[in-house]
Amino acid sequence: MNIKPSKIFEVYENVEKGKKQLYTLNLIPGRKVYGEKLFMKGNQEFREWNPFKSKLASTILKGGQNIHLRKGNIILYLGSSTGTTVSHVSDIIGEKGMVFGVDNAPTVMREFMKLVTDRENITPIMESAAQTEKLRERLPKEVDILYQDVAQNNQVQIFLNNLVFVKKGGYGLLAVKARSIDVTKNPKTIFKDVRKQLEKETTIIDYRELHPYQKDHCMFMVKK
Amino acid sequence: MKSELKKLRQLNIQLTKKALRESVTPDTLIIQAVKTVEETDHLLNNYGKRLREWLSLHNPELCAEEESVIELAKHVLTGKCAPKKNSYGSIFSDEDKSPLQLISALIFSLEEHKQELLSYVERTMKTHYPNIHLLAGSEIGAQLLDRAGSLKKLAEFPASTIQTLGAEKALFRHLKTGSRPPKYGILFSHDLVHKAPKNKQGKAARLIADKISIAARIDYFKGEFRGEELLKDVKEKLK
Repeated sequence: MNIKPSKIFEVYENVEKGKKQLYTLNLIPGRKVYGEKLFMKGNQEFREWNPFKSKLASTILKGGQNIHLRKGNIILYLGSSTGTTVSHVSDIIGEKGMVFGVDNAPTVMREFMKLVTDRENITPIMESAAQTEKLRERLPKEVDILYQDVAQNNQVQIFLNNLVFVKKGGYGLLAVKARSIDVTKNPKTIFKDVRKQLEKETTIIDYRELHPYQKDHCMFMVKK
Repeated sequence: MKSELKKLRQLNIQLTKKALRESVTPDTLIIQAVKTVEETDHLLNNYGKRLREWLSLHNPELCAEEESVIELAKHVLTGKCAPKKNSYGSIFSDEDKSPLQLISALIFSLEEHKQELLSYVERTMKTHYPNIHLLAGSEIGAQLLDRAGSLKKLAEFPASTIQTLGAEKALFRHLKTGSRPPKYGILFSHDLVHKAPKNKQGKAARLIADKISIAARIDYFKGEFRGEELLKDVKEKLK
């Protein structure tokens, strides 16, 4: 077992029998967020990052390199849910960064509040990702990165609308759930349409299909 | 810079806490109750089967004759479960009878809880959502709310969605493969639907779904009680 830094900033990995497992450095040592395993190496504590639970982890395992998360970043995270992926983003950006986690559902936001209590670099916003103008009053003038994972049929338009918060030269990551857009169409066709829509307003810098970790999902990475 | 972020975080925490407090509306509570009723039903079913099987080792004739598991539990709890002469059940010592007492008490208690929960659902639906209460009844109304997730969502659904709530497997199969669409989901258990002649059940489901949709909107936007005339309208059209 040798947990060492991976090619992605602040993300660690261990390769055993050809299988790669990802980790992040625990911002709050001793605390688990969702029942994940904790590993000690010297005086560092690592949290295991499950690609079946986190689309960002599966993107990295599928070879995604343009993640662009750095220490101290300000992230707008649409679709934060219970905070599984948010917790790893929080580990990566460290105490000087901030994740603004947006989700509309009270059930998951109640869970998310537990994370907010523990981690000072996470801010909760219970609001619809589609309400860009309402979000404006609750966000800083500019963020470094927009990460979106919402299961809506107009998710691409929501993403494009919220890119307005990203600084020039900043990045966006869009997790696309084909079945939310149209349950009857072939996912590959849907992904092609999404690509066309994104190309009109952004520069696509990376694209990964997330099977076997997530069925009928892909991740687009764009630059503003 | 950093202190600005801290202030923004505190503001957002306060706003989110307020939104969470205000997110609990009668429909949220009704949904919790109706989900509990479903889970209680599963338990009743499982423990009921177990009681029946276990008791029939001692008094198989009683178990064969008595259809209701609650009645069986009552027999055990009142000590009236001894087999008649020449029964093919075995003699049970007091020691062996005592676990049956425990299971029977549990079943009785579960049934009581279920009835109390249904009564809570009835009272809450009648007070806060009188139109849905009259059109769909409290049990079906609550199940529709559960499927929708909230009164707001139920009010936003087209009537065709309400008609097929509960028949998702058939609905998506129809959308993906072109097989015949479902005529009803949960609404099948509505009196006006399952008691109608078979060739009119689809029509009944459609009509009642239309009116439930209107009822949900009236209840959501807190309009006046028009349930009587809506129900009358459905009954007229079904004659």
